[in-house]
Amino acid sequence: MTTIIDVRHLKKAFQQSNALADVTFSIQKGEIFGFLGPSGSGKTTTIKILTAQLHKDAGEAFVFDMPVSAMQDSKNREKFGILTDNSGLYSRLSIEENLALYCKLYNVPNTAIKEALEFVNLYGERKKKVSMLSKGMTQRVLLARAILHKPDLLFLDEPTSALDPVNTAHIYKGLRALNELGTTIFLTTHDMQEADTLCHRVAFLNKGTIQAIGTPKQLKEQYSEQTITVELKDGSSQVIKNDAQNAQSLHDWMANNQISRIFSNEPTLGDIFMKITGSDLQ
Amino acid sequence: MMNISIARIQAIFMKDYKEFSRNYAISVMVFIPIIMAFLYRDMEFDAAQKMLFPLAITFGMVTAFVQAALIAEEKERNTLRSLLLSPASLADILIGKSALVSTISVIIIALCCYAVNYTPSATMIIAIILSIVFYAALGTICGLFAKSTMETTFTVLPVVIIFPFGPFISMFAERFSVLKIAKWLPSSQLADLAQGDSLVPMIGIVLWTIAAWVAAIILCKKRMVD
Repeated sequence: MTTIIDVRHLKKAFQQSNALADVTFSIQKGEIFGFLGPSGSGKTTTIKILTAQLHKDAGEAFVFDMPVSAMQDSKNREKFGILTDNSGLYSRLSIEENLALYCKLYNVPNTAIKEALEFVNLYGERKKKVSMLSKGMTQRVLLARAILHKPDLLFLDEPTSALDPVNTAHIYKGLRALNELGTTIFLTTHDMQEADTLCHRVAFLNKGTIQAIGTPKQLKEQYSEQTITVELKDGSSQVIKNDAQNAQSLHDWMANNQISRIFSNEPTLGDIFMKITGSDLQ
Repeated sequence: MMNISIARIQAIFMKDYKEFSRNYAISVMVFIPIIMAFLYRDMEFDAAQKMLFPLAITFGMVTAFVQAALIAEEKERNTLRSLLLSPASLADILIGKSALVSTISVIIIALCCYAVNYTPSATMIIAIILSIVFYAALGTICGLFAKSTMETTFTVLPVVIIFPFGPFISMFAERFSVLKIAKWLPSSQLADLAQGDSLVPMIGIVLWTIAAWVAAIILCKKRMVD
C-alpha cells in the first residue's frame, strides 16, 4: 500500500499553548481518514501544516512521499484539493464564474463544472451570484471547487458543518464515489456520526495529541463493555454481560418466549471519545 | 525558478475584470484623472506640465489604490489564500493581479494625453509604463498590509500623497530642506525625464521599480504561510 500522508512526532505551539504536542499517524492511498476532536484540538493546524500554510516546530511530515514544504511548489498543489474555513469565493461572480476560474488554474476543461456542481446538488443554481447564497450553499460551492480537478488527496475541514441532512447525505454519497475513484480523503470533524458513516479509520485528537486510532469497528470493540440489553415482554429490561455465564439466562428467556427485543450495547465514537478524554466534543 | 502560465494569468485577469466592473465603489476611480485632464486642458502651461497632475492622480488613485483595494479584498474574503493554494504560481498571481490595473492605467493615461494634447516621446512612454509597474507594486504592498478593504484607505494614503506628487513636494524644498529628498521620488524622476533629461531619471525609475517588486514578492511569500 502507498502511504499518502506520513506524520511523525509533529509539534506546533502558538505563543504559550501547544496546538500539537506530539502527533504521529499515517494515511494510506484510498483511505477516508477521520481526524476527530473538539474545537481547538489541533485539527485545522494539522491541515495547515500538511498543505504548507503553516510551518511546523518539530517532527516530520510527508505528503506524497515529499516533505510538506514541497507543497509550496505550484506543481504539487495540483495533487490536492482543500476545503477549510478560510477558503473563499468571489462574491460578485456567479457560482459558475468562480468555478470557471479554477478550471483554468487547474487546467481542467469547463465540463468539470457540471460534474462538480451535480456532486454538491447545485447545478441548477450555477448562474446565481455567490453573494446571494446561504452559508450551506457557499459551503457546497467550496466543496465543488475542492473536487473540481479530481485530486489525489482531498483535505476537508468540517465539510458538512453548515449543511442540512438531505444535502449532507448527498455529499456523503458523492465523497464515497470520489473515494472509489481513488481519492484519499483527510476529513476533520467533530461530528462522530459523520466519521462513523464515512471513515475507514479515525484518530481522536485531544489537547494536541492522538488519544486513539483505528477503524470505527476496532475502536468500538476495544472500548465496548461487552454487554447486551434484553427487553422482555413484561416491560422490564436486563443488561447482561455477553459471556458464557449469562448464556443460560438468555436461553431461558428465549425458551419461555419472553424476549421482546435484544441488542448489543456498542459504544458510539462519541462515547469512546468521552471515555478516553473525559471531555465532550463541542 | 518561477513557472509562468499565460492561461492562468489570463484567467486571473478576466476574473479581476469582472469583479472590478461590478464594484462601482472602486471602478468610479478611473474617471477622476480623465476629468482632471479635461479641466487642465485650457490652462496656460505646456502640455508636459499639464500632464503632471493627471499622471500623479492616475498613479496614486488608480494604479496604487485600486491595486491595493483588489488585493485587500482578496485577503479579506480569503480568496487570496485559495489562489495561493491553487497550482497558480506566485508569478502568475502577481502578474495576473497587476495586469488589470496596469491596462486600465495605460488607457487612462492615453486618454489624458489626448485631453491635454500631449505626445510623449518613446523614452517617456517607457518611463510611464515602468512607473505603472512601480505603482502596481506599491499597491500590492499596501493591499497585503491592510487587513480589510476599508483599511486600505489608510495604508495607501501615504503612497497616494507622497509618491506621485514628488514634483509638487519639491516646490517647497527651499523652505523645508528635508523635502529635497522628494527629487529622488519616481514621480520627480518622471518629471525630469519629461523635461529632457533621460538617463539618470530612467535609472532611478528602474531602481524604484525593482526595489518595489522585490519587496512585494517577499511580502507575498510571507503571506503564503500563517
